[in-house]
Amino acid sequence: MSQSPIIHAKDIHKTYRLGRVDVPVLRGASLSVNTGEWVSILGASGSGKSTLLHLLGGLDRCDRKPAGSIAFQGTELVRLSAGAMNRYRSRSVGFVFQFYHLLPELTVLENVLAGAMVRHSFGYLSLKKAMVSRAGELLEVFGLSERLKHRPAELSGGERQRVAIARALINEPDILLADEPTGNLDTLTGNAILDELAKVRSSRGLTLIMVTHDIATARRGDRLVELIDGVVGEQSPLVT
Amino acid sequence: MPLLAALAVALCTTMVLVTWSVMGGFLDMLLDSGRNLIGDVAITWPNSGFAYYDELGQMLQDDEMVQAWAPMIETFGLISLPDGRRETVMVKGIQGPSYARVTNYKDTLYWQPLDKPLRTDPHSEDWRLTHHDLWENRYEQGLSLTEPRIDRMGQLVADEPAVVLGIELSGFNIRKAGGWYMPGVPRKFNADGTEEAVDVFMPNSRITLTVLPLDDKGRNIDVTARAFPVANEFRTGLYDLDKNVVLIRLDALQNMLKLHEAQRVIKVDADMPGTELQPESFDQPGEVLTKDPARVTAVIVRAVDGFDAITLKARCREIYAKFEARHQGDVPAQTAIIMSTWEDQNRTMISAVKKETALVLTLFSFISLTAVMLIVVIFWVMVAEKTRDIGVIRALGASKTGIASIWLIYGLCIGLVGSAMGGILSYTIVTNINPIHEWMGNALGITIWDPSVYYFSSIPNQMDAFHAAIVLVGGVLASVVGAALPSLRAANLDPVRALRFE
Repeated sequence: MSQSPIIHAKDIHKTYRLGRVDVPVLRGASLSVNTGEWVSILGASGSGKSTLLHLLGGLDRCDRKPAGSIAFQGTELVRLSAGAMNRYRSRSVGFVFQFYHLLPELTVLENVLAGAMVRHSFGYLSLKKAMVSRAGELLEVFGLSERLKHRPAELSGGERQRVAIARALINEPDILLADEPTGNLDTLTGNAILDELAKVRSSRGLTLIMVTHDIATARRGDRLVELIDGVVGEQSPLVT
Repeated sequence: MPLLAALAVALCTTMVLVTWSVMGGFLDMLLDSGRNLIGDVAITWPNSGFAYYDELGQMLQDDEMVQAWAPMIETFGLISLPDGRRETVMVKGIQGPSYARVTNYKDTLYWQPLDKPLRTDPHSEDWRLTHHDLWENRYEQGLSLTEPRIDRMGQLVADEPAVVLGIELSGFNIRKAGGWYMPGVPRKFNADGTEEAVDVFMPNSRITLTVLPLDDKGRNIDVTARAFPVANEFRTGLYDLDKNVVLIRLDALQNMLKLHEAQRVIKVDADMPGTELQPESFDQPGEVLTKDPARVTAVIVRAVDGFDAITLKARCREIYAKFEARHQGDVPAQTAIIMSTWEDQNRTMISAVKKETALVLTLFSFISLTAVMLIVVIFWVMVAEKTRDIGVIRALGASKTGIASIWLIYGLCIGLVGSAMGGILSYTIVTNINPIHEWMGNALGITIWDPSVYYFSSIPNQMDAFHAAIVLVGGVLASVVGAALPSLRAANLDPVRALRFE
């Protein structure tokens, strides 16, 4: 794990408008994550964990006023154009969601390849063979090599989440952003998924930012960051 | 739902394409049939006709634009059929060979040998498939409008002029589902209430033709009736002609109408030289014999391929002007003679059909907009259903344009599938429209295409490739347009909200 921050968020604010009411979710949150680090963001429901993750992943933009900043490897995300932000999401970031969010019409293999299709667009056609091979390897790592042709509906929750992780990794991102990755799984399966994530992180040197409301899950990281009412509170390193 | 959208596109393209094929085909048949029936231009002077037509014909023939010409007489008459019925008819006096060079008369002669059965005659029931010699004779007799007269001993006495009737005229021929004819055995009702079967095959029968010769002022000279053998029957496909026209050898009709070449006796009044006297006052010396040339009411002309009817009409007018100059006062003036193309003769009807076709197509195209609306609605619902998936794809890095293009391509695919289905369905319907119509008539009692209304005895069953291309491309474009609005909605979805959508 390197001591240089791969991503650095400083004083970011995010307000959502619900009808006529402005609802502030993040109120000047700051967070710095080093390369290869596993940071667990812990917080109650509505504390802004997922919002912070979305902002770090370039899915949304923070408020312009008061001005905050999110820098990925020194590049300011706030200043990126829409196209550059899309490229950032497809190349540098991988998302894993609580409810897997697999595309139900596609097979396991196609779901994993979806990320590569989006990233390479028409160029995918020339890379297809290599991408299929890479997707196969990833699914083999997650023990799903026998389920390539299956649809998500035919898989268990744990298997679906493994497919989602494989999809997030297909483009070899620098950061994996996991939003309650075990929130929809039983403890045993959840732990297995966390083991998989830990293995992937160490083998690929990934930076992992995980949002959870479960303290036991949060403790699997290198550092625990507590988010309270839209502000980063206590940060404590964890010894594994 | 995508299948529903494709089905909507298919049905709309089918509706427009079938309508366009039938109505457009009807118009094309109407325009094309002119050339087959009267050639490209008709030079006409009705009733009294005009003389020196052979000379005019030769002048026309010498022109590079003219492929062939033929003299013709058109008048009205009455025929008595073998079962005693009398029908008013249009009588056309023609010279078979020259008429065949200008029109497609040879092809319209119905009773001629067939080498192979029609596609619509799977059981080879058509009479024309057997006895080729018999049909070959009938064909030759039809072409020359002449039939040998045989005496009771079976000896050939002489050739006599014959008539060729429209296939629908006698009512003795039964049109089979495949569009071919068989002689039927209709019932004849007598005045005393009894009925009897009439076993008649028209080309073996005789009819009596009655015509009314008129002078140049339109006054009746005499009523002439004469019996003729029927040499053959013709089928143009134009119901009106097939039902109402009798073709007769030109010289026979000229004789009946007093339009033949004849000697005229002129008595010269000694006191008033050059004055023509009435025959009853022929009691003075100074008799002069002169020849009145034969006359016809029309000369029809066919253009060499590559020249259109309008150009030929203008050239015919120039030629006629020279012809008139040679016979000043003896032939109708160039300014008075009627010179017309088929389209001129049927301008009102052709114009009406063109407008009707355009109107129906416009209406159906508007109705087809419902397909676009249906696609909008279906895609709108699909975008709503796929909101979360759209969020996932945005999270994977897809741009707004990328999301929009996914839906547009989806619309394009639905358009392609729908249009392809519509194209196949339309082709199947159009090419089989006559058997389908026949079946509807037999099974359901529905007759949409009444030949007496629509002019042709069969429904046009050809699909124009260009029209098909326009409609099918239109179907694809309509699908893409229908998908455009939902695509924009999908593209503008907030990915965070989309991911949280339930």
